[in-house]
Amino acid sequence: MPWMAIESDARKLPTARRAGGAVTRRAVLGAAIAGGAGVAAARLLGLNPAAGTAPALGKRVSGGTDWISPLGNENARVMQLLRRATFGATPAELDKALSDGYQKTVDRLIETPAAKAPVFPGGDAASRGAPLKVVQLQKWWLDHMLSTPTPFAERMTMFWHGHFTSDYRKVGLQDPFVYWQNLTWRDNALGDFRSFLYQVTIDPGMLRYLDLGTSTGQAPNENYARELMELFTMGAGNFAEDDVRAAARALAGWREPRTAAMVMDAKQGNATPDTSKVGIFVPNRAYQGGPVTFLGKTGKFDTKAVLAQIVAQKATAPYVVQRVLINFALPNPPAATVSRLAAGFVKSGWSIRQLMHDVFLSDEFKAASSYRSLVKQPVELMVHALRALGARDQSAIALRAASGMGQNLFDPPDVGGWPLNESWISSNTVLARVNFATSLIAAVKSLPPATDAHVHNLDGVLSPATASLLNAASTDLDRWVLVLASPEFQLK
Amino acid sequence: MTEEHGINQLKRRDFLRAGLVFGAGAAGLAAGYAAVPDAFARAVYAAKEQGITNDKILVMVQLAGGNDGLRTVVPLQDPKLHDYRPRLAAPSVAQALALSSDFGLNQNLAGVKKLYDQGRVAIVQGVGYPNPVFSHFESIRIWETGDPTRRSINGWLGQLAAKQYDTLGHPLTGCACGATDVPGALRDLQATMTVIQDPKNFGFTGGDPVESAVTALYKDTPGIYGALFDTAIATAKDTIATLKTASTKYQPMATYSDKAKLVYSSKNQLASALQLAAELIVSGTGVKLLHVTLGGFDTHYTELNRHDDLMGYFDQAVSAFFEDLDAHGMAGNVLLATWSEFGRRPKENASGGTDHGAASPVLLIGNPVQGGLYGGAPNLSDLDATGNLKYNVDFRSVYQEILASHLGADAKDVLGATFDRVPFIKSAVGVS
Repeated sequence: MPWMAIESDARKLPTARRAGGAVTRRAVLGAAIAGGAGVAAARLLGLNPAAGTAPALGKRVSGGTDWISPLGNENARVMQLLRRATFGATPAELDKALSDGYQKTVDRLIETPAAKAPVFPGGDAASRGAPLKVVQLQKWWLDHMLSTPTPFAERMTMFWHGHFTSDYRKVGLQDPFVYWQNLTWRDNALGDFRSFLYQVTIDPGMLRYLDLGTSTGQAPNENYARELMELFTMGAGNFAEDDVRAAARALAGWREPRTAAMVMDAKQGNATPDTSKVGIFVPNRAYQGGPVTFLGKTGKFDTKAVLAQIVAQKATAPYVVQRVLINFALPNPPAATVSRLAAGFVKSGWSIRQLMHDVFLSDEFKAASSYRSLVKQPVELMVHALRALGARDQSAIALRAASGMGQNLFDPPDVGGWPLNESWISSNTVLARVNFATSLIAAVKSLPPATDAHVHNLDGVLSPATASLLNAASTDLDRWVLVLASPEFQLK
Repeated sequence: MTEEHGINQLKRRDFLRAGLVFGAGAAGLAAGYAAVPDAFARAVYAAKEQGITNDKILVMVQLAGGNDGLRTVVPLQDPKLHDYRPRLAAPSVAQALALSSDFGLNQNLAGVKKLYDQGRVAIVQGVGYPNPVFSHFESIRIWETGDPTRRSINGWLGQLAAKQYDTLGHPLTGCACGATDVPGALRDLQATMTVIQDPKNFGFTGGDPVESAVTALYKDTPGIYGALFDTAIATAKDTIATLKTASTKYQPMATYSDKAKLVYSSKNQLASALQLAAELIVSGTGVKLLHVTLGGFDTHYTELNRHDDLMGYFDQAVSAFFEDLDAHGMAGNVLLATWSEFGRRPKENASGGTDHGAASPVLLIGNPVQGGLYGGAPNLSDLDATGNLKYNVDFRSVYQEILASHLGADAKDVLGATFDRVPFIKSAVGVS
């Protein structure tokens, strides 16, 4: 039995067009599920779903095991794309994307250069006396996610923040490193993976977070070498302990750059601050011994050679592609999908932009099995909610709610980065998600009409429980709470 | 609302649906640890109900990141320690709290030392497993599932709950305190475990009307995550009800403080997590399995102060917990056990820290314990090929004793085999 089949209805709507010929969001989607009018009618009729009356939102069904995918419909595909690639959409963005269609929207997301993040006040000058304030930094990023003209770039920046992860606790707030890392990740988010990897390796925040900045060739610190292979590029099981040791030796020799404020803090008034915003190589800290054997190759390795050898491994492109797919497309990508996309990724010269393009245009992305197969991260959930409500000024509520859901920006739980999909679901986190919805709706002074909220935000594909509760709800406030607190809204 | 008893009445369909998640999770597991599902869901209660009818309680304390065993239980006489650790060894040896002529506790474990002197602390040294793995995530998974072959998905305590406890209507059989996600040790598709980050925030904003609406909203949710979502809300609802009753029966009788400026990890609320554990124990919720985590043990750099801070913080929180239980007369049945994915490398690195290692000690604290040193002292003169300490006691032997002798459970049912006892439990349940 179908849940809420918008496809068949949608096909009946050839006439919903604007004067200019462009399809309007309201016309297509509202009509697509006979939704807006139906809900209103249900309200007027005072239907009580608990009494067993068929709700106007869709067929009343009593069982079933999966959502019926609406992805045969281009509009539904566009909405899924915006959910996954851009933290949902504002009504204006949704209008534009629906009018452009899927292919053009993908091209636009992929090709538009990332808008620069605004300068974080005091960021470059952070010092012991004037440390970064982490809540302000979180708000700075969240506000940028909410207002940027290129939300896809922010979504990618956030993806890399979870992949090449660091946390403010270890990196600290008494220098600009956490802030700089965010800027660097954004600059590289859609670039060449290989040059990104080099920037990651010599990023000051990363030098501190995984200790490469204090390692030496003589007594190497293995932290970065191990996580570089296990978490950033190849995955566990694709390298040996000897490779960790070899890489740790070969990578050693970097130190953090020192800003003027850091030199002052260290009371090294006569030392010259560095102008560089990346790590500085100090040859006499590097490994001085003979050739090393790393991933099957023996010779002299410097940092670039180590990274090149990693990139040359069979495991690397599939590992990265799989991480991308689990975040953007499928919770459990088939091996064939991974290797096909990995081949394209390598062929493109490791272009992340090309990879994302291929992912969004893949059959797997729009397959029925992909529909609602991913759980929104808390930040995605919150940004989507604020954008849908036009409540960009409410980021403070999101910041307060983040902890209970398990996602404070700049503070991932461990070096593995953010949890994924099922791992976001527990009694504590789902309760926190629901409470976020309730608090947000209560705080927003003027709510947009909720008539089409379930269409624009839930594709009109609803469980019987959601449908009947929406039918029974009599105010915009109640309807918005239900939409944002619904299980449908937790998924992407 | 018909949801009144909903949590106890999952239908066969829900179970099957949960099975879908299980399938996805199993495949995800093959893809890498990060994809491991928090696959917990209330299952239909099958005939396999063998309830363990005693009052024993277990509190697992995870020292996340890899705790340095050589700075926890310090070898006092071994010159090799100073060779390997020119910076780290001398201060800890000089200040250690002697347990014997050969070993001492970290100087900041004064509270644990006091409990040790009361005969309430057992220390099993040299705990590990064959072919040590040096990845945090892989080794955590081994400890969580009790399976060094890394084939299992379910946590050892999750399996215990699913197979042997009657969790029907008792979402608080197992609880992760101070966390937001289900720890791997408690994961099992067929066991309901609750997670409470902070009991003060654990309620529905908007109160009863919202609670009823949300309970109705999360009903028969379709899709691969449907049963997980529905279970999460049903569990939250039952937990809220239990907490309401509990909080009226409990007043802390010790000072729990998270004021220590411990910023090394976001998992740094050990004292409040243990206070919540005490509340659940003292107020008679029927809780059996508790899990708390203290992070920050991945001391690759400037380990000296960091590790000492962590030891001190652990000591304060654990001391408060037992002081509180003692004052409430509730310490008799509670066993607290530490675990960490691995110890650390004997040789220190250029950053004044230590890299990932292998064997390390496990602390077992509480009245059920027969105090003393167990296992074998780590031998710094006989390291393995990776320069790490060899293990003397399989970690599953520690689990065996916890399961069989403390909880009175069928350990083989959980561990898949019977392991040698490490007899740190004083009067073993069912062992005469």
